[in-house]
Amino acid sequence: MTNREHERAIDLITRSGVEDVSAPDAVWLESHLARCAECADYADGCASTGQLLRAVAVTASPALVAATQSRLRARAVELDEQRSRSILIAVSFCIGTLSSTMSAWLWWRFGGWVAQKLALPASIVEPGVFVAWMLPAVIVAVAILASSHPVIDRTVTMAWLGEDQEGARQ
Amino acid sequence: MVATAFSLLAPMETEEAQIARGLRRRDPDLLDALIAQYQHRLLRYLLHLTGNRAVAEDLFQETWLRVLEKGHLYDGRNRFVTWLMSIAHNVAIDHLRKRSLSSLDEMKDPEDGTPFEPPASGPSPFDLAAAQQQQEKFHEALAQVAPIFREVLVLRFQEQMKLEEIAQLIRIPVSTVKTRIYRGVQALRPALKGGLQ
Repeated sequence: MTNREHERAIDLITRSGVEDVSAPDAVWLESHLARCAECADYADGCASTGQLLRAVAVTASPALVAATQSRLRARAVELDEQRSRSILIAVSFCIGTLSSTMSAWLWWRFGGWVAQKLALPASIVEPGVFVAWMLPAVIVAVAILASSHPVIDRTVTMAWLGEDQEGARQ
Repeated sequence: MVATAFSLLAPMETEEAQIARGLRRRDPDLLDALIAQYQHRLLRYLLHLTGNRAVAEDLFQETWLRVLEKGHLYDGRNRFVTWLMSIAHNVAIDHLRKRSLSSLDEMKDPEDGTPFEPPASGPSPFDLAAAQQQQEKFHEALAQVAPIFREVLVLRFQEQMKLEEIAQLIRIPVSTVKTRIYRGVQALRPALKGGLQ
């Protein structure tokens, strides 16, 4: 007998019981097992392992199932709320971006109008007005970043978003 | 209950497609039905994997929470049970990493020498006692088998999964699955011969 025959036999033994083994393969396997003690031993081992494993009575308690179902429902509600808040944040961000762009454009135009009225070069006044408009926000941002004490408490933000640190890691 | 939950969905879809759609919507009735349907199989798998009932029950809940959170990733092309078991496999591995254990065997309850309950059926008290003894021997031997072999034995012989499904679940080649099953069965041979004769 060749190694190839043993490999084929082991493959068929491992697959049989769960997967379909064709009739010619089943006949070949039977004849091989009659001649090969090693493969017959493996087939016997597979049958016994399956028989003993399937005889195990492991059941989930109704309390475990009920607790899991209740935990899942609560988590589903949390996730839905989290999703609603995320949508709200995304919408707020879009509105903020849009209004900032529009007001930047308006301030730029205002700078042009002032330059025209005062007969000053537009290439200086337009950016000047724009920078003056931006300056307060830039100063506040730099102050926040430079501060040794965190101005924004991340835990408060995360709590508002409905995520504890454990959840955030996952 | 499961049939009722599925029948509420579109009748022309396959069961897997219905489950995938329900999971994307986080349908609570569908999740209840799935927990009820797969409760014993999932707990049995986790119990065999960890050897500790308390840990297995924790991981059972954790697995279903992950099913809820990652449900949108299930596309319905494969059997749901395969996907569920792969989630359970990952949850068990994550648990292992968190606890920094060197092997799955370390999760065994040291006070629990016989982690599995013997079958509650037998034609006579003598047969019952013999079967119980045989089961105990077998499970003692099974507990000694390395977790990587034990896992494939459970998936193949208890959960009746195809080799390709096991390979997909554990993310290893089919040839490795066959090798692990072969080596697992060989490792159990002394107990099987002693216990069954």
